[in-house]
Amino acid sequence: MSDFTQTLITAIAIGSLYALIALGYTMVYGILKFINFAHSDIVVLGAWSSYTFSNWLLKLIGVETKGMTTPPAIWVAVVVLVLSMAFCGVVGFTIERLAYRPLRRAPRLNVLITAIGVSLLLQNVGQLDQVFGASPQKMPQLLPAAELASFTFGEGESARKVVIGLVDVMIFVTASSLMLLMQYLVFHTKQGVAMRAVSYNTDTAALMGIPVDRVVSITFVLGSVLAAAAGFLYVMKYPSLNQPAHTIWVLLGLKAFVAAVIGGIGNVRGAVLGGFVIAFVEQFGAFYISTNYRDVYVFVMLILILLVRPGGLLGVTTREKV
Amino acid sequence: MNSTSAAKILLDVNRIGISFGGLKAVQEFSLHLPQGGLYGLIGPNGAGKTTVFNLLTGVYQADTGAIQLSGGNLFGKKPHQITAAGIARTFQNIRLFPSLSVLDNVRLAGQLHNRHGLWHTVLRSRRYHTAEKNLCDKASELLEVFDLQDRAHELASNLSYGHQRKLEIIRALATDPSVLLLDEPAAGLNPQEKKLLAGSIRDIRDRFGVAVLLIEHDMGLVMDICERIVVLDHGITICEGTPKEVQNDPQVITAYLGSGVPGEG
Amino acid sequence: MTQSANRSGTVERTGTAVLPWGANGFFGMMPIIVGIGFAVLLHFVLPKSIGPYYSRIVTDVGIAIILAVSLNIVNGLTGQFSIGHAGFMTLGGYVAAFVTYYVSSILWESTTRHGGFLGSGEWLFLFSCIIGGIVTAIAGYVVGLPSLRLRGDYLAIVTLGFGEIIRVILQQTGKVIDPEAVKSATWSQIIPPPVGGAVGFDGVPKYTNLFWVYTIMAITLVVAYRLKSSSVGRAMISVREDEIAAQAMGVNISREKVRSFVIAAFFAGVGGGLYAHEPGVIISPNDAGFQRSFDYVIMTVLGGRGSISGVVIAAAILTALPEFLRDFAEYRLIVYALLLIIMMLVRPQGLLGIHEIWNLRRKPKSPPIAEEVK
Repeated sequence: MSDFTQTLITAIAIGSLYALIALGYTMVYGILKFINFAHSDIVVLGAWSSYTFSNWLLKLIGVETKGMTTPPAIWVAVVVLVLSMAFCGVVGFTIERLAYRPLRRAPRLNVLITAIGVSLLLQNVGQLDQVFGASPQKMPQLLPAAELASFTFGEGESARKVVIGLVDVMIFVTASSLMLLMQYLVFHTKQGVAMRAVSYNTDTAALMGIPVDRVVSITFVLGSVLAAAAGFLYVMKYPSLNQPAHTIWVLLGLKAFVAAVIGGIGNVRGAVLGGFVIAFVEQFGAFYISTNYRDVYVFVMLILILLVRPGGLLGVTTREKV
Repeated sequence: MNSTSAAKILLDVNRIGISFGGLKAVQEFSLHLPQGGLYGLIGPNGAGKTTVFNLLTGVYQADTGAIQLSGGNLFGKKPHQITAAGIARTFQNIRLFPSLSVLDNVRLAGQLHNRHGLWHTVLRSRRYHTAEKNLCDKASELLEVFDLQDRAHELASNLSYGHQRKLEIIRALATDPSVLLLDEPAAGLNPQEKKLLAGSIRDIRDRFGVAVLLIEHDMGLVMDICERIVVLDHGITICEGTPKEVQNDPQVITAYLGSGVPGEG
Repeated sequence: MTQSANRSGTVERTGTAVLPWGANGFFGMMPIIVGIGFAVLLHFVLPKSIGPYYSRIVTDVGIAIILAVSLNIVNGLTGQFSIGHAGFMTLGGYVAAFVTYYVSSILWESTTRHGGFLGSGEWLFLFSCIIGGIVTAIAGYVVGLPSLRLRGDYLAIVTLGFGEIIRVILQQTGKVIDPEAVKSATWSQIIPPPVGGAVGFDGVPKYTNLFWVYTIMAITLVVAYRLKSSSVGRAMISVREDEIAAQAMGVNISREKVRSFVIAAFFAGVGGGLYAHEPGVIISPNDAGFQRSFDYVIMTVLGGRGSISGVVIAAAILTALPEFLRDFAEYRLIVYALLLIIMMLVRPQGLLGIHEIWNLRRKPKSPPIAEEVK
């Protein structure tokens, strides 16, 4: 029972991270109909820029990062989060502007290949010594390692403690509020109506006077900002920061993408649902079957769901018009 | 050929229907196309004409009904199986293979009945050479019939619009069909080309012995060459008969009201 | 892919007529025989004249060509988008290495090279590469199945996932059993397969040489070219251009897709066998990862999806160049990435589009058909 609860808590925290990243994939796919392969690299950028910004900020306020035992005031974490979100937003905007916009009318495969190119570019520029470097780093601890609550299951010798950490709660709260904000934005604002219109039919939307390019830009910026937040939260949970081209990042991005596909790509609620489904499959599979194959479960899940429901859980299958 | 009752029914379609979501795109569509018949399928935009073609060729699977070609069942068959059985089609918005040559577009269609396996291809056996030669001969012959042989090695995408339409028909004929479905073959042609087209559709029917079902908006053309006409509106067959009967049908006139009286095209 | 139409109006001729190497009846075997002759020449002349270091590069180029050209059957001809080719390669490599290592251990109680040029060891090596190819082809069939249900970019993710699954599974394999201990191995040593786990499969006999690499490369090229310039290739291209029209012309698109996956996977598996037995290489699970897959994707994209000669050129350049620019190793992938992006902006059809290099200079005039028939 204790194991189950602990796995559940981890799955919820990880699930909200996947959901946050999946939102970026799904929004871009919804509007431009291509997989933004570089999205996972924006997450990496979010994580690494959080690292850079926090070192810079801590130095600025005179805190020694080496051998730091107590975390700084909470506003440092907030500022770092905001800074890296802003930075990634700008990068996302630039990428769309320079690499994707000229290909607006090109076949989808070309855009996909470009996205792979952008992804490789971000990874390997990040690996340069002048940028982030090719070795792993340790993220300074910005949040206190406090236990918010703990329960004890069983009695005597078999007693097991289940811990709800502050970090897990922070991840869940931050991610959910961002997702709710996104939900509000997409379904209850004028901007959201424009986004959905472009997603439904770009040409018609343009004829209706919707500035398509601006809507696409905003979508990219939003996706990138969410990705940055996910990157930040990820390094809060796992402070050992892998180098930008490490497989673990690609897998993180892939799983988030799988989450978006499982939920029904292009569907905002589906992405959130998919994120949690993936996290549950992965965490419970890892715990109850074998931790070695945790990546395999996710892909097996993907293939199974796509074979049963090609449009994903909340998606609709579209027919090609002849 | 002209009398429907005497000729054997080739394509026998009974009460097929399909709905997309809640929308009944086509309901209870029936058609009895005799050997060598030349039928027309008309109706206002969005009436479901192309959907009927898609149902007949297996692009969409009909929800209900029966489709038979010379007694063989086609209901639930895949598009390539239906083509192999003898129904060929052209597309309203031309769908040639743009980066293949004109000749290769025709050869691709012709190779349906000119198979040789993978091993023969890799080993370049005698059988491969014979098959490829037959294919090339057949394709060239077809191109010559339609006077496109000079453009054989050009890319399909480099042809003029009229020639692309023509190539679509040639390509469909290369699959050796017994039924040819033409989806708006006159769309985008000038009056001169339309006149030629009307003649060549009849010629095709006679020369290749195919039955033709034609979707067309040009009423002049339809009334001129079709023996019988089926009129669709909102997925429902509102009238079926000879051009004369159709022209005088009150329902048809209502369906077209606002876009002019049929027959004046 | 309408962008692959070139402006001058010349076209790729498919069919019996214009072949760079004549192929009729008995002469159907000629190109392969010529290729083997070339491979023998390379094998005996090259190492002496340019030394082992450069010979190694030439070997790597040959293997890269096999991989890129086979990937091009799926990505270029049939127009599917597979980015898990390294997964196939590594699977084939492991199977082949497994066969060579353990059969050598049982037959000869050692895993060092057995026999000389074309000796018994080399035939075992060829046999195991083919087994690797066959096993990989079966995997290709399984991976090809989702392609029937999934559109391009979804399929890309499935193939990428396949590569990652192969990587993860190979990491969980058992320790390699010493050749002397093979006959007394216990079940617990054999399950999971003893191929080295995360550190890679060490101790595989090193049989790969220029002769075998270039012989297999010649076969790959001939098969790829013959597929492309035949009914089979036309059917594959029609799937790439327009699936609905292809079906309407009687093409069984499911069969073409799966078939191209199987063929491509077979050659990837054989290429993987060559890689696993290459001197100086220890095949490891990380070879199955997406980075290597991307390398091959880049080669096909830059060469021109569908153009065999273009892909050969791209594979050769992209394999050899980094070796000469070792000082700039960290910039290699940056340059690749920029190449990809710029290529998509200015020349999305790749170096040669769908054309072969010997078709480029042909004038856009149309010779009478009769000529072509004969």
